[in-house]
Amino acid sequence: MTIDQATKPATSRAAEDLDELALRHQRVRAAMAEQDLDVVLAYGPAWRRENIRYFSDVTPAGSAALVLFPAESGPIAFSTRPSDLTDFARRGWVERTRRLDPTDPAELTDALREFRPKRIGIAHHELVPLGLMETIRAAVPSADVVPATALLDTVRLVKSDWELARMRRSAVVCAAGWEAFVDVLEPGLPEYQIVAEVEARIKNLGAEDNFMLIASGGDEVRGMTPPSARLLETGDMVRTELTPKMNGYWLQICRSAVVGKANDGQRKSFDLFNEAVEAGISVVRPGITAHEVAVAQNDVFRKYGYGEYCTSQYTRVRGHGHGLHLDETPIIEGNHTALPENSVFIIHPNTFTPLAGYHVLGDPVRVTADGCEVLITTERKLFETGDLS
Amino acid sequence: MKRGLVVLDPAEVPDQEWDARVGGLQRSMAEHGADVALVYGDVSRSDDIAYLTNLCIYWNEGVLAIPAAGTPTFLTKLSPRVQPWMKRTSKVTEISSGKGFADLVAKFMLGKKNGTLGLIDAALWPSDVVDEITAAVPGWRVEPLEGLVRQQRLVPSDNEVALLRAAGRILDDAAAEAVVEESTPGGRVETVERALRNGGFLDLYPNSLSTTDGVTSFGVTGQYRTGWVHTSRVVGDDGWTGDLRAALTAAIAAAKPGATLADLTTAARTALDGLPGDAEIRWINQADLSTHGEFRPRDFQLGLGETGSVSIEVVFADGGHAAVAETVRITDGEPEYLTGAPR
Repeated sequence: MTIDQATKPATSRAAEDLDELALRHQRVRAAMAEQDLDVVLAYGPAWRRENIRYFSDVTPAGSAALVLFPAESGPIAFSTRPSDLTDFARRGWVERTRRLDPTDPAELTDALREFRPKRIGIAHHELVPLGLMETIRAAVPSADVVPATALLDTVRLVKSDWELARMRRSAVVCAAGWEAFVDVLEPGLPEYQIVAEVEARIKNLGAEDNFMLIASGGDEVRGMTPPSARLLETGDMVRTELTPKMNGYWLQICRSAVVGKANDGQRKSFDLFNEAVEAGISVVRPGITAHEVAVAQNDVFRKYGYGEYCTSQYTRVRGHGHGLHLDETPIIEGNHTALPENSVFIIHPNTFTPLAGYHVLGDPVRVTADGCEVLITTERKLFETGDLS
Repeated sequence: MKRGLVVLDPAEVPDQEWDARVGGLQRSMAEHGADVALVYGDVSRSDDIAYLTNLCIYWNEGVLAIPAAGTPTFLTKLSPRVQPWMKRTSKVTEISSGKGFADLVAKFMLGKKNGTLGLIDAALWPSDVVDEITAAVPGWRVEPLEGLVRQQRLVPSDNEVALLRAAGRILDDAAAEAVVEESTPGGRVETVERALRNGGFLDLYPNSLSTTDGVTSFGVTGQYRTGWVHTSRVVGDDGWTGDLRAALTAAIAAAKPGATLADLTTAARTALDGLPGDAEIRWINQADLSTHGEFRPRDFQLGLGETGSVSIEVVFADGGHAAVAETVRITDGEPEYLTGAPR
C-alpha cells in the first residue's frame, strides 16, 4: 500500500470526527467522575503533546501548551505560540483558544477562575513548570490539585476505529522509511546520512515527526543511540527503530540489515529474535498483560541459554504501547497492565547477545477479539543490501 | 527527539573553552551564594546542559549537578547502557543513572557540607521535581537562581560564531532551494531535512504558515552543534509580501548595539504600514531559539556580539499567518547576516 491509498483524515470536522470527539469527551468525563474532578488540565511541554492532541486533534508548535477540560462545558486550548491558536480554531475540537504567556498568564488565571473548580486533575502534573504551577495554585487557591496523568493514559489505551485508521497511515510510512533505510546503505556512508535520507523520505510523505535510534557495526554493538559519523563497512549489521508520526499517531518498526551478505552469527541471531517475536505475537489476546507478553519473548532467550540478555544490564523493554505517545505502557516483566482489544503496542525483544551484538526486530500489533493483527506489511527477515532493489 | 549528528571536536571547541564555561558558571554561583547548582533539561530544552558539557539529551530528561569547584556530574533516568556513548560524545566524566532525580541528587550530595543548593532557571523546572529534590536534601537551602547559564550564552565565543556561520550557510542554501515557487509542502520539508541532516545538523523544526489569500511562509529552526539558527521565507513573490520582506530588511538594519524593540519597529514602520494584517517584530537570541523565545520577555536591548533571529509575523483578522525571519549577529557596524544575506 502507498500513502496515497491509505485513508486520509478529513481536515475539517466530518461526521466521524464529531463521533470521535463525543466518544473522547464521554470517556474522559466518566473517568473524571470516578475521581471527583471538576476540571482536567492537560499540560504538554514540547516533547509530550499526546493529551493536547487527544483533546484538540492539533499538535501545537509552541514551547508549552495546555487544554482546560471542564466536566460540564467545552475545552479551552492554550499555547505559547499565536499561530497554534489559529490551528486549534480551524480544527474546531475546542470551544475557545487563549494565549499562554509565561510572563503574563492572566488568560489562564481568568479561565480557571471562571469554572470555580474544587478539584483539578493535571495530566503531566510531573512536568508542569514551577512558574505555571504557582499560577494555577494562585488562581484557584482553594482547589485540590492532583495528578491525572494515569487517567489520560488509561483513557487513551484503547484505540477507536477512527484512531486505528490513522495508525494504519503510520504503518505505511514505517514501511517506506525502512525501504529508504535499506536503499541507502553502502560501505563508506556515515550513519547520520542514513538518518538524513530516511527523514527526507518520510517527511515528504507527511510524517510530522520521527523517533529513531541507530547503531552499526559487528558483535561489539551494545545498544542504539543517535547517529554518529561512523562509516559503514561491508559485513556491518545496521540496526534501527524507526517511529514516524502521522496525523498525531506514532508507530514503530524495528529491523536490522546487513551491508553485503549476512554471516552465520547474524543469521542465528535473527532466527533467535524472530522466534521471540513470534512467541510474543502468539500469546496476544484481549486482557493479556504486558508482563505475559514479555515473558513469552524472554522464555525463548532462556530456552537457548540467553536469558541473562533479557535483563536491564543489556536491554530495556520487550516492546511498548503506541498511540498519541510513542512510548506508552511498557511491555516488560512486572508490568501487569492488561491490554484490551484494540490496544496497540510493538513486540520487540531488542537486546544484545554474543551471536551478533545488539539485534533489533519487532512489529507493532493491534489486539483483536481472538489474537492480534500485525499492522505493518514489511517482511520480518534479516535484510541484506540489494534486497529491495 | 534529537536524531542528527553529535560532534565533540577539540578543533571546533578546545578543552580550555569547555573548562572556561563551567568555570564561568562556578564564579556566578559563588556570587549568588550557591554551593551546588543544578541545571534541568529535557529533549526540547537542553541547551544549557549542552553548552556546559556537549551532552545531547536526545530523549527524556536530565539534570547536571555543578559543585562549587571541580567537574559536573550528569544525573539521568536513562539506562547505564547509554553512559559510554554519553562519555564519548561529551565532556562529562561522571554520570549517575537512577529512577528519579531526588535519589540521584541526594546521592550526589552525600559527603558534602550542608549549604545552598541553587536551581538554575528555577521557574522552568518541573514543580514536582523541585519538591522531590527539596525533600531529599534536608539541611540544604534550596534557592531559585536566574538563568545563569543562559546569560553566559547570550554572546557567543569566537568558536561558537564560527559554528553559527557554518550553520547559517547550510540553512541558507537549503531554505533557498526549498522555497522555490513550484515547491510542494512535502517537498520543502524533504529538501531541508536532507540538506541540514547531511550537513551535520543535530535537530530541526520546519514550520509552514499560510494566509487565506494563498501566501505560504516556510520557516526552519535548526540546531548545529550547540547553537541555533532560524530563517523564515515567503514562497513566491506576490503583492504585499514585498512589503513584508522590506520591513524585515529595515528591522535588521536597525539591529545595532543598544537597539530595542521600539527601534526595530520604528525602522520597519513604513513597510509595515503597507501590510494587510497586524505585525509583530521579535528578536530571539539564539540561546532561546529552541523555545522560540516563548519563556522570555518580548522586550530587549541588543548587546554587541549577540546572535539571534529578527522576525516579523503578520496575523490576519481571518486567522491567517505569514512570517519572515533571518539570523544575524550584532556588530559595531551593519549586522552580519548568518542567513538570508541580500544576494
